Amino acid sequence: MYSFLQRTIQTSKIRQISRFSLFLQKLQTTSSRLSHNILVSNDSYSYGFHQRSIIVSPNQFRYFGSESVSLTLEGIIANNWNILDEDDGDWKSHAAAVAQSIDLIKRRLQWKKLKVRLDLLSAQLSKPDLWDDPVHAGKISREHGSLLGKVKEVNALEQELIEHIDMIKLAREENDEELESESLKALLNMRRNAKEKELEALLSGEHDYCSCYIEVQAGAGGTESMDWASMVMQMYKSWAQRRGYKVIVMEEMPGELAGIKRATIKVDGEFAFGYAKAEIGVHRLVRISPFDSNKRRHTSFAAVAVIPILGDGSTRVQINESDLRIERFRSGGPGGQHANTTDSAVRIIHIPTGITATSQNERSQHMNKASALAVLQSRLDQMEMARQAQLNAQHTQSLTDITWGSQIRSYVLHPYRMVKDLRTNYEVSDPDSVLEGDIDAFILSYLSASLDKGENNG
Amino acid sequence: MKLSLSSVYTPYSFPIILKSYAFSNLCKPFCSSALSSSPPISLKPQVPLFLRPPIYSTKFCDFKKWHDWAKGIASSIGSTFVNSDNGPDSSILCRELKWLMEDAVEDHSLFSKMGFENYDERVKMRVGIEELYDLWKERIEKRRPFQYVVGCEHWRDLVLSVQEGVLIPRPETELIVDFVCDVVSKNEDLKRGVWADLGTGSGALAIGIGGASGIGGRVIATDINPVSVAVAAYNVQRYCLQDKIEVREGSWFEPLKDIEGKLAGLVSNPPYIPSKEISGLQAEVGRHEPRVALDGGIDGMDYLFHLCDGAALFLKPGGYFAFETNGEQQCRALVDYMKNKRSESLCNFEIVADFAGIQRFVIGFHH
Repeated sequence: MYSFLQRTIQTSKIRQISRFSLFLQKLQTTSSRLSHNILVSNDSYSYGFHQRSIIVSPNQFRYFGSESVSLTLEGIIANNWNILDEDDGDWKSHAAAVAQSIDLIKRRLQWKKLKVRLDLLSAQLSKPDLWDDPVHAGKISREHGSLLGKVKEVNALEQELIEHIDMIKLAREENDEELESESLKALLNMRRNAKEKELEALLSGEHDYCSCYIEVQAGAGGTESMDWASMVMQMYKSWAQRRGYKVIVMEEMPGELAGIKRATIKVDGEFAFGYAKAEIGVHRLVRISPFDSNKRRHTSFAAVAVIPILGDGSTRVQINESDLRIERFRSGGPGGQHANTTDSAVRIIHIPTGITATSQNERSQHMNKASALAVLQSRLDQMEMARQAQLNAQHTQSLTDITWGSQIRSYVLHPYRMVKDLRTNYEVSDPDSVLEGDIDAFILSYLSASLDKGENNG
Repeated sequence: MKLSLSSVYTPYSFPIILKSYAFSNLCKPFCSSALSSSPPISLKPQVPLFLRPPIYSTKFCDFKKWHDWAKGIASSIGSTFVNSDNGPDSSILCRELKWLMEDAVEDHSLFSKMGFENYDERVKMRVGIEELYDLWKERIEKRRPFQYVVGCEHWRDLVLSVQEGVLIPRPETELIVDFVCDVVSKNEDLKRGVWADLGTGSGALAIGIGGASGIGGRVIATDINPVSVAVAAYNVQRYCLQDKIEVREGSWFEPLKDIEGKLAGLVSNPPYIPSKEISGLQAEVGRHEPRVALDGGIDGMDYLFHLCDGAALFLKPGGYFAFETNGEQQCRALVDYMKNKRSESLCNFEIVADFAGIQRFVIGFHH
């Protein structure tokens, strides 16, 4: 037990310290937006799990330690405090909301796996011969840096939460309204930021930040299917444009009467792959076909593949020029000076794998070759990724070939109107807006469903 | 005649020596001069559409009206041109229309809005809307090559200015630059030497070689046609290669007397179409491109033989050459000719196919 005097002295000391600590945290939060890697990787600012801030003395630790609430994330969640609206100024509600967010973020980051992976990478980094293979070393150290950044960021969030709670309890005990309202405000801020971070955590996969190719292929069923494939492609083009991505048509094989047999677009921008990967699979349409003179109801399918475009990264497959066969589509005739054509499409065949890539939209043969080569590179990279994923069974979401069985979404225009995702059961009753590119809700619900159910956090 | 273009030439004032030829045409705006079927030759090179200032403004709805009209015409062609002379089909014409818009309009974000009604907005353009109608009419009705319509050809990673009177560089020819890059990467001596592109036309090969292959030496481009010389010089200057590439006016080897026996490399895409085939050419080619750049004499081999003879004389020992031909027959005839008549100086002949699988190029070395 402490005497009254002791407590008063201590309290005022703590208050000074707490203000400073709050200030530090604010500073930290602000600057972490600029470069959290630099700041949080500085150990004096990043706190371990049960570790106290270094500026709080052992005495104060004892003071907090005497509280009945065990101040850990798990503890806070276990309290089952009611989560009320943000407007409700109840600190417990804010704290519980933040704790829940952190918990969700951890699940989305696949926390346990991430820690295991981080340990593995740290071990590899400490090997003396690591830099014998600079490409590999670069890859390891990049991944390590990125994972460590995430771990530290989440740890810092936890620590911040616990400190705010400490502060509020203290303020209450001392009837310090100013401190209480400051801390409450800080907690509310955290609650709002944490919501954003939840979203960010959805896109934390290794290649999520990449641009990507989206490929659509018509299923069996002739013109109706090809028309559906072109509707699906149009949906992605509009979606990408809405999100501010740059869209380039790489290749397009038109159907005889309407629609497309197959097409590839490049979607250029941050996190294009992270979002678009949610669309991989078979999309099904039910409607009265405008191509059927008897006005019968038809069901058609279109397959969607999404391939990340890896930056200058190191997982790239080395392509041997001698393994390539390059073909130009000829219209017949002797070519050369005889022909004036603006069509300089080329197809590149990677002989060892039989994988091909085509580009027709550039204005010179040279550029068509370059962009077909880029498509080929991504396809080979993707194949290699899938192979590696199978090898170490680490990627749960390997991008295997789309089989016609893997139906992910159903678009019904007749006899009723509905779009339903078969993986999440998310559905809307307005197919038009979906086909005009309003698919974010489908994407987010799928991403959260696939990550949130994942693992128990660790 | 030799033009030392690097010192005299600036984009908008052309060397005085040339002005006398062209005086009567100078006041004509760049585009209208090309409208008539036999255009008067102007030696002030035309500025490609995409480089002109966006000084025209049109209401979005008017632009959209033009686009819909143009697209309608393009679609109506179907395979008419394909059937008549292997010309472009609707899908190619629609793509050209897209490129024409890209070149004519300053703000490309516009294209994603084509589906919407947006009456208030104005479109900034590099050409007036009336002229856009004219340009597309010429493309379809007169079969004027698309490249002349927009005043440029995308070739390799270059955008080369072209105009009536100058052959539009072909995709096949791009490969010659790859051959040269390949050979100079293995041979320091060839890399440092002097190269020549004979019958340069728009300057494509000279610029491709001078810019891409890291050739340390010079490239000399020759052409007998003053319009080609002017356009090639303009293209050289656009890629800031004046210090490396010199454009000389004259027939084949004539302007190269000073470097006889000293050339490290020689490339050319000479006229190789047999005379009797000229009349049956695709309209874009036969009606609009310069016959002087296409017609290779009775069997199309006149200039190819001339180039072989010249290669024997002008290349230095170890020098390299690459010529484009009409196809397998000419390739074989050329190799036979060199084996029989020029084997004392030329060797290591090789026939290489283009991407369409047609044996297109003959390459070889000087002993």
